[in-house]
Amino acid sequence: MRGITALLVAVLVAVPPATAMQAHAAGDEPGEYLDRRVEIWNLFFRLMVVAFTIGAIVSGTMVWQVWRFRESNPNAKPTPYEEKGEW
Amino acid sequence: MTLEMQRPRPVWQIMFSTHHTDVGLLYLITSLAFLFLGGALALAIRVELFLPGSQFIADSMTFNRIFTVHGTTLIFLFILPFASAVGNYFVPIMVRYKDMAYPKLNAIAFWMIPPSGALIWLGFADFTWYATPPYSIISAPGPAADMWIFGLKILGISSVLGAINFVVTIMKCKHPDMSLGQVPLLAWSFLSSSLIILVAIPTFAAALLMLLTDRLGVSGFFNPAMGGDPIAYAHLFWFTFHPEVYVLVIPAIGMMYEIIPRFSRKPIFSYNSGVFAFVLLAIVGFSSWAHHMYATGMSFTEKTVFMVGTLAAVPASAMHVFNFLATMWNGRIRFATPMMWSVGGIALFFSAGAGGVVNAAMPLDFTTHDTYWVVGHFHLFVMGTIAFGSIGYLYYMFPYVTGRMYHEKMGQAHFVMSFIGAVLVFYTQHVLGLYGMPRRVYDYPAIPEWIAMNQIATVGAMLIGVSMVLFLANMIHSSAKGRPAGMDDPWKLGGKYYYPYQNKNPQH
Repeated sequence: MRGITALLVAVLVAVPPATAMQAHAAGDEPGEYLDRRVEIWNLFFRLMVVAFTIGAIVSGTMVWQVWRFRESNPNAKPTPYEEKGEW
Repeated sequence: MTLEMQRPRPVWQIMFSTHHTDVGLLYLITSLAFLFLGGALALAIRVELFLPGSQFIADSMTFNRIFTVHGTTLIFLFILPFASAVGNYFVPIMVRYKDMAYPKLNAIAFWMIPPSGALIWLGFADFTWYATPPYSIISAPGPAADMWIFGLKILGISSVLGAINFVVTIMKCKHPDMSLGQVPLLAWSFLSSSLIILVAIPTFAAALLMLLTDRLGVSGFFNPAMGGDPIAYAHLFWFTFHPEVYVLVIPAIGMMYEIIPRFSRKPIFSYNSGVFAFVLLAIVGFSSWAHHMYATGMSFTEKTVFMVGTLAAVPASAMHVFNFLATMWNGRIRFATPMMWSVGGIALFFSAGAGGVVNAAMPLDFTTHDTYWVVGHFHLFVMGTIAFGSIGYLYYMFPYVTGRMYHEKMGQAHFVMSFIGAVLVFYTQHVLGLYGMPRRVYDYPAIPEWIAMNQIATVGAMLIGVSMVLFLANMIHSSAKGRPAGMDDPWKLGGKYYYPYQNKNPQH
Protein backbone atom coordinates (compact mmCIF):
# COMPACT_ATOMS: atom_id res chain seq x y z
CA MET A 1 0.00 0.00 0.00
CA ARG A 2 2.84 2.34 0.90
CA GLY A 3 4.55 1.50 -2.40
CA ILE A 4 1.43 2.33 -4.39
CA THR A 5 0.98 5.58 -2.49
CA ALA A 6 4.62 6.52 -3.07
CA LEU A 7 4.25 5.77 -6.78
CA LEU A 8 1.13 7.88 -7.10
CA VAL A 9 2.74 10.76 -5.23
CA ALA A 10 5.84 10.49 -7.44
CA VAL A 11 3.67 10.68 -10.57
CA LEU A 12 1.81 13.69 -9.21
CA VAL A 13 5.08 15.43 -8.41
CA ALA A 14 6.56 14.65 -11.82
CA VAL A 15 3.63 15.68 -14.03
CA PRO A 16 3.37 19.45 -13.28
CA PRO A 17 7.05 20.37 -13.95
CA ALA A 18 7.08 18.28 -17.12
CA THR A 19 3.99 19.96 -18.52
CA ALA A 20 5.26 23.38 -17.48
CA MET A 21 8.52 22.81 -19.29
CA GLN A 22 6.58 21.99 -22.43
CA ALA A 23 4.71 25.26 -22.08
CA HIS A 24 7.97 27.13 -21.63
CA ALA A 25 9.44 25.44 -24.70
CA ALA A 26 6.58 26.89 -26.70
CA GLY A 27 8.46 30.20 -26.77
CA ASP A 28 7.69 33.77 -25.79
CA GLU A 29 8.43 35.70 -28.97
CA PRO A 30 5.62 37.49 -30.83
CA GLY A 31 6.38 35.65 -34.07
CA GLU A 32 5.66 32.32 -32.46
CA TYR A 33 2.18 33.22 -31.22
CA LEU A 34 0.35 30.58 -33.27
CA ASP A 35 2.67 27.74 -32.22
CA ARG A 36 2.41 28.79 -28.62
CA ARG A 37 -1.36 28.64 -28.74
CA VAL A 38 -1.24 25.14 -30.19
CA GLU A 39 1.19 24.07 -27.50
CA ILE A 40 -0.98 25.53 -24.77
CA TRP A 41 -4.09 23.74 -25.98
CA ASN A 42 -2.05 20.55 -26.16
CA LEU A 43 -1.07 21.11 -22.57
CA PHE A 44 -4.68 21.73 -21.64
CA PHE A 45 -5.91 18.49 -23.19
CA ARG A 46 -3.10 16.53 -21.60
CA LEU A 47 -3.96 17.99 -18.21
CA MET A 48 -7.58 17.09 -18.81
CA VAL A 49 -6.59 13.50 -19.54
CA VAL A 50 -4.39 13.35 -16.43
CA ALA A 51 -7.01 14.98 -14.19
CA PHE A 52 -9.88 12.83 -15.38
CA THR A 53 -7.88 9.59 -15.28
CA ILE A 54 -6.65 10.16 -11.75
CA GLY A 55 -10.09 11.48 -10.80
CA ALA A 56 -11.80 8.36 -12.05
CA ILE A 57 -9.33 6.08 -10.24
CA VAL A 58 -9.52 7.91 -6.92
CA SER A 59 -13.29 8.43 -7.01
CA GLY A 60 -13.83 4.81 -8.01
CA THR A 61 -11.57 3.64 -5.19
CA MET A 62 -13.47 5.76 -2.72
CA VAL A 63 -16.86 4.48 -3.81
CA TRP A 64 -15.62 0.90 -3.68
CA GLN A 65 -14.12 1.43 -0.21
CA VAL A 66 -17.36 2.88 1.11
CA TRP A 67 -19.20 -0.20 -0.13
CA ARG A 68 -16.60 -2.81 0.83
CA PHE A 69 -15.44 -1.58 4.23
CA ARG A 70 -18.76 -0.43 5.69
CA GLU A 71 -19.47 -2.28 8.89
CA SER A 72 -22.72 -3.73 7.52
CA ASN A 73 -20.88 -5.52 4.69
CA PRO A 74 -21.08 -9.31 5.29
CA ASN A 75 -17.31 -9.55 4.78
CA ALA A 76 -16.50 -6.84 7.34
CA LYS A 77 -14.27 -8.03 10.15
CA PRO A 78 -12.91 -6.26 13.24
CA THR A 79 -9.67 -4.38 12.72
CA PRO A 80 -6.64 -5.46 14.78
CA TYR A 81 -6.89 -2.19 16.70
CA GLU A 82 -10.40 -2.82 17.96
CA GLU A 83 -9.28 -5.58 20.31
CA LYS A 84 -6.95 -3.20 22.11
CA GLY A 85 -9.59 -0.48 22.09
CA GLU A 86 -7.02 2.08 21.03
CA TRP A 87 -6.71 3.92 17.77
CA MET B 1 -16.18 16.67 30.91
CA THR B 2 -17.14 20.01 29.52
CA LEU B 3 -20.89 19.85 29.34
CA GLU B 4 -21.82 23.38 28.47
CA MET B 5 -25.54 22.83 28.15
CA GLN B 6 -25.89 20.47 31.11
CA ARG B 7 -24.32 22.89 33.52
CA PRO B 8 -26.43 26.01 33.21
CA ARG B 9 -24.67 29.24 34.05
CA PRO B 10 -25.72 32.83 33.66
CA VAL B 11 -25.06 33.99 30.11
CA TRP B 12 -22.89 36.88 31.28
CA GLN B 13 -20.58 34.39 32.99
CA ILE B 14 -19.86 32.75 29.64
CA MET B 15 -19.72 36.06 27.81
CA PHE B 16 -17.09 37.54 30.08
CA SER B 17 -15.16 34.34 30.58
CA THR B 18 -11.66 33.89 29.22
CA HIS B 19 -11.72 30.09 29.57
CA HIS B 20 -10.95 28.42 26.26
CA THR B 21 -14.13 26.33 26.07
CA ASP B 22 -16.31 29.35 26.90
CA VAL B 23 -14.63 31.43 24.22
CA GLY B 24 -14.94 28.42 21.92
CA LEU B 25 -18.68 28.25 22.64
CA LEU B 26 -19.05 31.96 21.83
CA TYR B 27 -17.17 31.46 18.57
CA LEU B 28 -19.36 28.45 17.78
CA ILE B 29 -22.70 30.16 18.33
CA THR B 30 -21.61 33.31 16.51
CA SER B 31 -20.29 31.40 13.51
CA LEU B 32 -23.47 29.32 13.21
CA ALA B 33 -25.63 32.45 13.40
CA PHE B 34 -23.67 33.92 10.51
CA LEU B 35 -23.88 30.62 8.60
CA PHE B 36 -27.66 30.89 8.56
CA LEU B 37 -27.62 34.61 7.72
CA GLY B 38 -25.13 34.17 4.87
CA GLY B 39 -26.98 31.08 3.66
CA ALA B 40 -30.25 33.01 3.51
CA LEU B 41 -28.56 35.53 1.20
CA ALA B 42 -27.37 32.66 -1.01
CA LEU B 43 -30.96 31.48 -1.37
CA ALA B 44 -32.03 35.00 -2.29
CA ILE B 45 -29.40 35.06 -5.04
CA ARG B 46 -30.48 31.69 -6.39
CA VAL B 47 -34.19 32.60 -6.37
CA GLU B 48 -33.41 35.78 -8.29
CA LEU B 49 -31.51 33.78 -10.92
CA PHE B 50 -34.20 31.11 -11.29
CA LEU B 51 -35.51 32.94 -14.37
CA PRO B 52 -34.15 35.73 -16.56
CA GLY B 53 -35.37 39.21 -15.73
CA SER B 54 -35.95 40.79 -12.37
CA GLN B 55 -37.75 38.47 -9.94
CA PHE B 56 -37.90 40.17 -6.58
CA ILE B 57 -34.63 42.09 -6.25
CA ALA B 58 -35.25 45.63 -7.44
CA ASP B 59 -31.98 46.48 -9.14
CA SER B 60 -28.46 45.30 -9.84
CA MET B 61 -26.96 47.31 -6.99
CA THR B 62 -29.16 45.54 -4.44
CA PHE B 63 -28.13 42.23 -6.00
CA ASN B 64 -24.47 43.30 -5.75
CA ARG B 65 -24.97 44.17 -2.09
CA ILE B 66 -26.50 40.77 -1.41
CA PHE B 67 -23.70 38.70 -2.95
CA THR B 68 -21.03 40.95 -1.43
CA VAL B 69 -22.37 40.46 2.07
CA HIS B 70 -23.08 36.75 1.38
CA GLY B 71 -19.43 36.11 0.49
CA THR B 72 -17.96 38.29 3.21
CA THR B 73 -20.21 36.74 5.86
CA LEU B 74 -19.59 33.11 5.03
CA ILE B 75 -15.83 33.45 4.62
CA PHE B 76 -14.98 35.82 7.45
CA LEU B 77 -17.85 35.37 9.87
CA PHE B 78 -18.65 31.67 9.50
CA ILE B 79 -15.67 29.63 8.30
CA LEU B 80 -12.90 31.40 10.20
CA PRO B 81 -14.80 31.76 13.51
CA PHE B 82 -15.96 28.15 13.28
CA ALA B 83 -12.36 26.99 12.93
CA SER B 84 -11.48 29.18 15.92
CA ALA B 85 -14.30 27.54 17.88
CA VAL B 86 -12.86 24.08 17.25
CA GLY B 87 -9.32 25.28 17.94
CA ASN B 88 -10.33 26.93 21.17
CA TYR B 89 -12.10 23.85 22.40
CA PHE B 90 -9.49 21.27 21.52
CA VAL B 91 -6.02 22.70 20.88
CA PRO B 92 -5.20 23.41 24.58
CA ILE B 93 -6.46 19.95 25.54
CA MET B 94 -4.53 18.29 22.71
CA VAL B 95 -1.27 19.93 23.73
CA ARG B 96 -2.14 19.30 27.40
CA TYR B 97 -2.17 22.90 28.55
CA LYS B 98 -4.61 24.56 30.95
CA ASP B 99 -5.90 27.15 28.45
CA MET B 100 -4.83 29.14 25.43
CA ALA B 101 -1.48 30.87 25.96
CA TYR B 102 -3.08 34.32 26.28
CA PRO B 103 -6.67 33.85 27.51
CA LYS B 104 -7.56 37.55 27.65
CA LEU B 105 -6.20 38.15 24.18
CA ASN B 106 -8.26 35.17 23.09
CA ALA B 107 -11.46 36.71 24.45
CA ILE B 108 -10.57 40.07 22.87
CA ALA B 109 -10.03 38.36 19.50
CA PHE B 110 -13.52 36.89 19.74
CA TRP B 111 -15.19 40.12 20.82
CA MET B 112 -13.87 41.88 17.73
CA ILE B 113 -16.09 39.67 15.57
CA PRO B 114 -19.61 40.86 16.56
CA PRO B 115 -18.82 44.57 15.92
CA SER B 116 -17.20 43.75 12.58
CA GLY B 117 -20.20 41.60 11.67
CA ALA B 118 -22.46 44.50 12.57
CA LEU B 119 -20.41 46.92 10.43
CA ILE B 120 -20.58 44.58 7.43
CA TRP B 121 -24.30 43.85 7.79
CA LEU B 122 -25.44 47.37 8.65
CA GLY B 123 -23.39 48.84 5.81
CA PHE B 124 -24.30 46.21 3.20
CA ALA B 125 -21.59 47.24 0.72
CA ASP B 126 -21.91 46.47 -2.98
CA PHE B 127 -18.37 46.14 -4.35
CA THR B 128 -17.92 42.32 -4.00
CA TRP B 129 -15.82 40.61 -1.34
CA TYR B 130 -12.81 41.70 -3.41
CA ALA B 131 -13.73 45.40 -2.95
CA THR B 132 -13.12 45.92 -6.66
CA PRO B 133 -11.10 49.09 -7.37
CA PRO B 134 -11.35 51.60 -8.96
CA TYR B 135 -15.15 51.26 -8.45
CA SER B 136 -14.67 50.90 -4.69
CA ILE B 137 -12.64 54.11 -4.67
CA ILE B 138 -14.51 56.30 -7.10
CA SER B 139 -18.19 55.52 -6.82
CA ALA B 140 -19.06 52.85 -4.24
CA PRO B 141 -21.75 54.37 -1.99
CA GLY B 142 -20.43 56.14 1.09
CA PRO B 143 -20.84 54.71 4.56
CA ALA B 144 -21.42 51.13 3.35
CA ALA B 145 -18.00 50.83 1.70
CA ASP B 146 -16.20 52.46 4.63
CA MET B 147 -18.03 50.26 7.12
CA TRP B 148 -16.99 47.20 5.14
CA ILE B 149 -13.36 48.34 5.14
CA PHE B 150 -13.39 48.96 8.90
CA GLY B 151 -15.18 45.66 9.52
CA LEU B 152 -12.55 43.75 7.55
CA LYS B 153 -9.79 45.68 9.29
CA ILE B 154 -11.08 44.62 12.69
CA LEU B 155 -11.54 41.02 11.52
CA GLY B 156 -7.95 41.01 10.29
CA ILE B 157 -6.69 42.12 13.70
CA SER B 158 -8.84 39.44 15.32
CA SER B 159 -7.36 36.78 13.01
CA VAL B 160 -3.81 37.87 13.77
CA LEU B 161 -4.43 37.84 17.53
CA GLY B 162 -5.99 34.40 17.27
CA ALA B 163 -3.12 33.13 15.13
CA ILE B 164 -0.49 34.39 17.59
CA ASN B 165 -2.36 32.65 20.38
CA PHE B 166 -2.52 29.32 18.53
CA VAL B 167 1.15 29.43 17.53
CA VAL B 168 2.33 30.22 21.08
CA THR B 169 -0.05 27.68 22.65
CA ILE B 170 1.17 24.89 20.40
CA MET B 171 4.86 25.78 20.19
CA LYS B 172 5.54 27.01 23.71
CA CYS B 173 2.80 25.69 25.99
CA LYS B 174 2.57 22.05 24.96
CA HIS B 175 3.37 19.58 27.70
CA PRO B 176 7.15 19.16 28.18
CA ASP B 177 6.78 15.42 27.64
CA MET B 178 5.16 16.00 24.28
CA SER B 179 7.30 16.56 21.22
CA LEU B 180 6.00 18.47 18.22
CA GLY B 181 5.91 15.13 16.43
CA GLN B 182 3.28 13.90 18.89
CA VAL B 183 0.95 16.84 18.53
CA PRO B 184 -2.32 15.63 16.92
CA LEU B 185 -2.90 16.52 13.28
CA LEU B 186 -5.84 18.79 14.15
CA ALA B 187 -3.47 20.93 16.24
CA TRP B 188 -0.92 20.80 13.42
CA SER B 189 -3.55 22.14 11.07
CA PHE B 190 -4.08 25.12 13.37
CA LEU B 191 -0.33 25.69 13.59
CA SER B 192 0.02 25.69 9.79
CA SER B 193 -2.99 27.91 9.13
CA SER B 194 -1.96 30.34 11.89
CA LEU B 195 1.50 30.73 10.36
CA ILE B 196 -0.11 31.49 6.98
CA ILE B 197 -2.31 34.14 8.63
CA LEU B 198 0.69 35.82 10.24
CA VAL B 199 2.49 36.08 6.91
CA ALA B 200 -0.48 36.86 4.67
CA ILE B 201 -2.83 39.17 6.57
CA PRO B 202 -0.50 42.20 7.02
CA THR B 203 -0.43 42.67 3.24
CA PHE B 204 -4.20 42.94 3.06
CA ALA B 205 -4.19 45.17 6.15
CA ALA B 206 -1.95 47.56 4.24
CA ALA B 207 -4.10 47.27 1.11
CA LEU B 208 -7.22 48.13 3.12
CA LEU B 209 -5.57 51.25 4.51
CA MET B 210 -4.51 52.29 1.02
CA LEU B 211 -8.05 51.67 -0.22
CA LEU B 212 -9.43 53.82 2.57
CA THR B 213 -7.04 56.70 1.96
CA ASP B 214 -7.80 56.43 -1.76
CA ARG B 215 -11.50 56.72 -0.95
CA LEU B 216 -10.79 59.76 1.21
CA GLY B 217 -8.99 61.30 -1.75
CA VAL B 218 -5.67 61.78 0.06
CA SER B 219 -3.89 59.14 -2.02
CA GLY B 220 -4.26 57.45 -5.36
CA PHE B 221 -2.60 54.08 -5.02
CA PHE B 222 -5.32 52.24 -6.93
CA ASN B 223 -7.00 55.18 -8.66
CA PRO B 224 -6.03 55.48 -12.35
CA ALA B 225 -7.22 59.10 -12.39
CA MET B 226 -4.44 59.90 -9.90
CA GLY B 227 -1.80 57.72 -11.55
CA GLY B 228 -2.56 54.65 -9.47
CA ASP B 229 -3.01 51.07 -10.61
CA PRO B 230 -5.95 48.81 -9.67
CA ILE B 231 -3.82 45.80 -10.62
CA ALA B 232 -1.53 46.64 -7.71
CA TYR B 233 -4.52 46.10 -5.43
CA ALA B 234 -5.16 42.77 -7.15
CA HIS B 235 -1.62 41.64 -6.30
CA LEU B 236 -1.91 42.76 -2.67
CA PHE B 237 -5.37 41.23 -2.29
CA TRP B 238 -4.51 37.86 -3.81
CA PHE B 239 -1.16 37.65 -2.01
CA THR B 240 -3.30 37.47 1.12
CA PHE B 241 -6.37 35.69 -0.10
CA HIS B 242 -4.97 32.87 -2.10
CA PRO B 243 -3.06 31.64 0.97
CA GLU B 244 -6.24 32.44 2.90
CA VAL B 245 -7.94 29.65 0.92
CA TYR B 246 -5.52 27.29 2.67
CA VAL B 247 -6.22 29.01 5.99
CA LEU B 248 -9.83 28.03 5.43
CA VAL B 249 -9.28 24.51 4.14
CA ILE B 250 -6.43 23.27 6.35
CA PRO B 251 -8.40 23.25 9.64
CA ALA B 252 -11.29 21.48 7.86
CA ILE B 253 -8.85 18.77 6.73
CA GLY B 254 -7.51 18.64 10.30
CA MET B 255 -11.06 17.99 11.50
CA MET B 256 -11.37 15.11 9.02
CA TYR B 257 -8.16 13.67 10.46
CA GLU B 258 -9.98 13.37 13.79
CA ILE B 259 -13.13 11.78 12.41
CA ILE B 260 -11.94 9.33 9.75
CA PRO B 261 -9.64 7.15 11.90
CA ARG B 262 -12.22 7.12 14.69
CA PHE B 263 -15.06 5.85 12.51
CA SER B 264 -12.79 3.56 10.47
CA ARG B 265 -11.66 1.99 13.75
CA LYS B 266 -8.02 2.35 12.72
CA PRO B 267 -5.20 4.79 13.46
CA ILE B 268 -4.36 7.33 10.79
CA PHE B 269 -2.37 5.70 7.97
CA SER B 270 0.53 8.16 7.97
CA TYR B 271 0.83 10.87 10.58
CA ASN B 272 4.09 12.13 9.07
CA SER B 273 2.67 12.62 5.59
CA GLY B 274 -0.23 14.54 7.14
CA VAL B 275 2.17 16.91 8.91
CA PHE B 276 4.35 17.20 5.80
CA ALA B 277 1.35 17.98 3.60
CA PHE B 278 0.10 20.69 6.00
CA VAL B 279 3.51 22.39 6.06
CA LEU B 280 3.91 22.03 2.29
CA LEU B 281 0.48 23.56 1.66
CA ALA B 282 1.35 26.45 3.97
CA ILE B 283 4.46 27.17 1.90
CA VAL B 284 3.22 26.60 -1.65
CA GLY B 285 0.05 28.54 -0.88
CA PHE B 286 2.18 31.65 -1.41
CA SER B 287 3.39 30.66 -4.85
CA SER B 288 0.12 30.85 -6.74
CA TRP B 289 -1.65 34.14 -5.99
CA ALA B 290 -1.39 35.58 -9.50
CA HIS B 291 -3.26 32.69 -11.11
CA HIS B 292 -6.33 34.81 -10.28
CA MET B 293 -4.90 37.46 -12.61
CA TYR B 294 -3.97 35.69 -15.85
CA ALA B 295 -6.31 38.04 -17.72
CA THR B 296 -4.65 41.23 -16.50
CA GLY B 297 -1.96 41.35 -19.17
CA MET B 298 0.79 39.44 -17.42
CA SER B 299 3.63 38.12 -19.54
CA PHE B 300 3.66 34.52 -20.67
CA THR B 301 6.61 33.78 -18.40
CA GLU B 302 4.88 35.19 -15.32
CA LYS B 303 1.78 33.18 -16.08
CA THR B 304 3.85 30.03 -16.47
CA VAL B 305 5.54 30.61 -13.10
CA PHE B 306 2.21 30.99 -11.34
CA MET B 307 0.73 28.03 -13.18
CA VAL B 308 3.56 25.84 -11.90
CA GLY B 309 3.21 27.41 -8.44
CA THR B 310 -0.46 26.51 -8.45
CA LEU B 311 0.18 22.95 -9.52
CA ALA B 312 2.69 22.63 -6.69
CA ALA B 313 -0.24 22.43 -4.27
CA VAL B 314 -1.48 19.27 -5.97
CA PRO B 315 0.94 16.78 -4.36
CA ALA B 316 0.22 18.14 -0.88
CA SER B 317 -3.55 18.00 -1.36
CA ALA B 318 -3.29 14.55 -2.91
CA MET B 319 -1.28 13.32 0.09
CA HIS B 320 -4.22 14.17 2.35
CA VAL B 321 -6.69 12.40 0.07
CA PHE B 322 -4.50 9.27 -0.17
CA ASN B 323 -3.95 9.36 3.59
CA PHE B 324 -7.71 9.33 4.14
CA LEU B 325 -8.26 6.54 1.61
CA ALA B 326 -5.46 4.43 3.08
CA THR B 327 -6.86 4.95 6.59
CA MET B 328 -10.28 3.75 5.51
CA TRP B 329 -8.76 0.75 3.72
CA ASN B 330 -9.36 -2.48 5.66
CA GLY B 331 -11.26 -0.57 8.30
CA ARG B 332 -14.69 -1.39 9.66
CA ILE B 333 -16.39 1.87 8.89
CA ARG B 334 -19.40 3.19 10.76
CA PHE B 335 -21.18 5.70 8.56
CA ALA B 336 -22.53 7.84 11.37
CA THR B 337 -23.27 11.46 10.53
CA PRO B 338 -19.76 12.91 11.12
CA MET B 339 -18.19 10.20 8.93
CA MET B 340 -20.71 10.76 6.13
CA TRP B 341 -19.90 14.47 6.10
CA SER B 342 -16.17 13.78 6.09
CA VAL B 343 -16.24 11.24 3.26
CA GLY B 344 -18.58 13.49 1.27
CA GLY B 345 -16.19 16.37 1.96
CA ILE B 346 -13.21 14.36 0.67
CA ALA B 347 -15.07 13.45 -2.52
CA LEU B 348 -15.99 17.07 -3.18
CA PHE B 349 -12.47 18.23 -2.18
CA PHE B 350 -11.08 15.91 -4.80
CA SER B 351 -13.52 17.17 -7.44
CA ALA B 352 -12.70 20.77 -6.56
CA GLY B 353 -8.97 20.01 -6.67
CA ALA B 354 -9.23 18.24 -10.03
CA GLY B 355 -11.15 21.21 -11.41
CA GLY B 356 -8.49 23.51 -9.98
CA VAL B 357 -5.69 21.60 -11.71
CA VAL B 358 -7.43 21.98 -15.05
CA ASN B 359 -8.31 25.58 -14.29
CA ALA B 360 -4.70 26.41 -13.41
CA ALA B 361 -3.78 25.81 -17.05
CA MET B 362 -3.78 29.19 -18.77
CA PRO B 363 -5.97 28.34 -21.79
CA LEU B 364 -8.92 27.17 -19.75
CA ASP B 365 -8.46 30.03 -17.35
CA PHE B 366 -8.99 32.48 -20.21
CA THR B 367 -12.07 30.58 -21.28
CA THR B 368 -13.57 30.51 -17.81
CA HIS B 369 -12.38 33.81 -16.40
CA ASP B 370 -15.22 35.68 -14.64
CA THR B 371 -17.75 33.03 -15.63
CA TYR B 372 -19.87 30.78 -13.43
CA TRP B 373 -17.11 28.16 -13.64
CA VAL B 374 -15.19 30.22 -11.09
CA VAL B 375 -18.25 30.39 -8.82
CA GLY B 376 -18.71 26.62 -9.03
CA HIS B 377 -15.03 25.90 -8.44
CA PHE B 378 -14.70 28.21 -5.47
CA HIS B 379 -17.92 27.03 -3.85
CA LEU B 380 -16.98 23.39 -4.32
CA PHE B 381 -14.04 24.20 -2.04
CA VAL B 382 -15.71 26.43 0.52
CA MET B 383 -19.04 24.60 0.73
CA GLY B 384 -18.15 21.12 -0.52
CA THR B 385 -14.93 20.75 1.43
CA ILE B 386 -14.67 23.31 4.19
CA ALA B 387 -18.32 23.53 5.26
CA PHE B 388 -18.72 19.73 4.93
CA GLY B 389 -15.65 19.12 7.11
CA SER B 390 -16.79 21.75 9.61
CA ILE B 391 -20.39 20.56 9.86
CA GLY B 392 -19.17 16.96 10.21
CA TYR B 393 -16.97 18.06 13.06
CA LEU B 394 -19.83 19.98 14.65
CA TYR B 395 -21.78 16.71 14.84
CA TYR B 396 -18.64 15.03 16.18
CA MET B 397 -18.13 17.59 18.97
CA PHE B 398 -21.84 17.87 19.74
CA PRO B 399 -21.81 15.31 22.60
CA TYR B 400 -18.74 16.96 24.06
CA VAL B 401 -20.31 20.40 24.05
CA THR B 402 -23.83 19.47 25.13
CA GLY B 403 -23.52 16.09 26.82
CA ARG B 404 -26.36 14.92 24.57
CA MET B 405 -26.63 13.10 21.25
CA TYR B 406 -28.00 14.72 18.15
CA HIS B 407 -30.76 12.95 16.19
CA GLU B 408 -28.84 10.53 13.96
CA LYS B 409 -31.44 10.13 11.19
CA MET B 410 -31.90 13.88 10.90
CA GLY B 411 -28.13 14.33 10.71
CA GLN B 412 -27.92 11.77 7.92
CA ALA B 413 -30.85 13.36 6.06
CA HIS B 414 -29.05 16.69 6.44
CA PHE B 415 -25.96 15.20 4.81
CA VAL B 416 -27.76 13.44 1.93
CA MET B 417 -29.77 16.53 1.00
CA SER B 418 -26.75 18.83 1.28
CA PHE B 419 -24.55 16.51 -0.78
CA ILE B 420 -27.10 16.18 -3.57
CA GLY B 421 -27.76 19.91 -3.36
CA ALA B 422 -24.06 20.78 -3.54
CA VAL B 423 -23.57 18.57 -6.60
CA LEU B 424 -26.63 20.09 -8.30
CA VAL B 425 -25.54 23.65 -7.62
CA PHE B 426 -21.81 23.63 -8.04
CA TYR B 427 -21.25 21.02 -10.77
CA THR B 428 -23.98 22.74 -12.78
CA GLN B 429 -22.30 26.11 -12.25
CA HIS B 430 -19.09 24.70 -13.76
CA VAL B 431 -20.98 23.74 -16.92
CA LEU B 432 -22.86 27.03 -16.90
CA GLY B 433 -19.48 28.79 -16.93
CA LEU B 434 -18.34 26.76 -19.91
CA TYR B 435 -21.54 27.86 -21.65
CA GLY B 436 -20.36 31.42 -21.10
CA MET B 437 -22.60 32.81 -18.36
CA PRO B 438 -20.73 35.59 -16.55
CA ARG B 439 -20.72 35.66 -12.76
CA ARG B 440 -22.02 38.53 -10.59
CA VAL B 441 -24.97 39.35 -12.88
CA TYR B 442 -28.55 39.65 -11.66
CA ASP B 443 -30.14 39.20 -15.06
CA TYR B 444 -29.23 37.14 -18.09
CA PRO B 445 -30.50 36.61 -21.65
CA ALA B 446 -33.15 33.94 -22.13
CA ILE B 447 -30.85 31.27 -23.55
CA PRO B 448 -32.61 27.92 -22.98
CA GLU B 449 -29.45 26.15 -21.70
CA TRP B 450 -28.70 28.99 -19.27
CA ILE B 451 -32.26 28.98 -17.95
CA ALA B 452 -32.29 25.20 -17.46
CA MET B 453 -28.96 25.16 -15.66
CA ASN B 454 -29.85 28.11 -13.46
CA GLN B 455 -33.04 26.33 -12.47
CA ILE B 456 -31.15 23.13 -11.62
CA ALA B 457 -28.75 25.17 -9.48
CA THR B 458 -31.62 26.92 -7.71
CA VAL B 459 -33.34 23.62 -6.95
CA GLY B 460 -30.05 22.35 -5.50
CA ALA B 461 -29.70 25.47 -3.37
CA MET B 462 -33.26 25.03 -2.07
CA LEU B 463 -32.44 21.44 -1.16
CA ILE B 464 -29.46 22.68 0.87
CA GLY B 465 -31.72 25.34 2.43
CA VAL B 466 -34.27 22.74 3.55
CA SER B 467 -31.49 20.55 4.93
CA MET B 468 -30.18 23.51 6.92
CA VAL B 469 -33.59 23.97 8.50
CA LEU B 470 -33.43 20.30 9.55
CA PHE B 471 -29.95 20.93 10.92
CA LEU B 472 -31.06 23.93 12.96
CA ALA B 473 -34.04 22.03 14.37
CA ASN B 474 -31.80 19.07 15.20
CA MET B 475 -29.23 21.24 16.99
CA ILE B 476 -31.78 23.17 19.05
CA HIS B 477 -33.95 20.19 19.94
CA SER B 478 -31.08 17.80 20.65
CA SER B 479 -29.10 20.23 22.77
CA ALA B 480 -32.16 20.65 25.02
CA LYS B 481 -33.88 17.26 24.85
CA GLY B 482 -31.52 14.83 23.09
CA ARG B 483 -30.74 11.58 24.85
CA PRO B 484 -27.74 11.82 27.17
CA ALA B 485 -24.55 10.78 25.40
CA GLY B 486 -22.35 8.04 26.80
CA MET B 487 -19.29 10.20 26.97
CA ASP B 488 -16.82 7.33 26.86
CA ASP B 489 -18.18 6.14 23.54
CA PRO B 490 -21.15 8.16 22.19
CA TRP B 491 -21.33 6.18 18.92
CA LYS B 492 -20.65 2.79 20.55
CA LEU B 493 -17.69 2.16 18.29
CA GLY B 494 -15.69 0.31 20.89
CA GLY B 495 -12.55 1.75 22.38
CA LYS B 496 -12.74 5.20 23.87
CA TYR B 497 -14.19 8.47 22.70
CA TYR B 498 -10.99 10.04 21.47
CA TYR B 499 -8.60 11.21 24.15
CA PRO B 500 -9.19 14.97 24.20
CA TYR B 501 -12.66 14.34 25.51
CA GLN B 502 -11.41 12.61 28.62
CA ASN B 503 -9.91 15.82 29.91
CA LYS B 504 -11.27 19.00 31.29
CA ASN B 505 -9.47 22.20 32.10
CA PRO B 506 -10.91 23.78 35.26
CA GLN B 507 -12.68 27.12 35.02
CA HIS B 508 -10.73 30.17 36.09
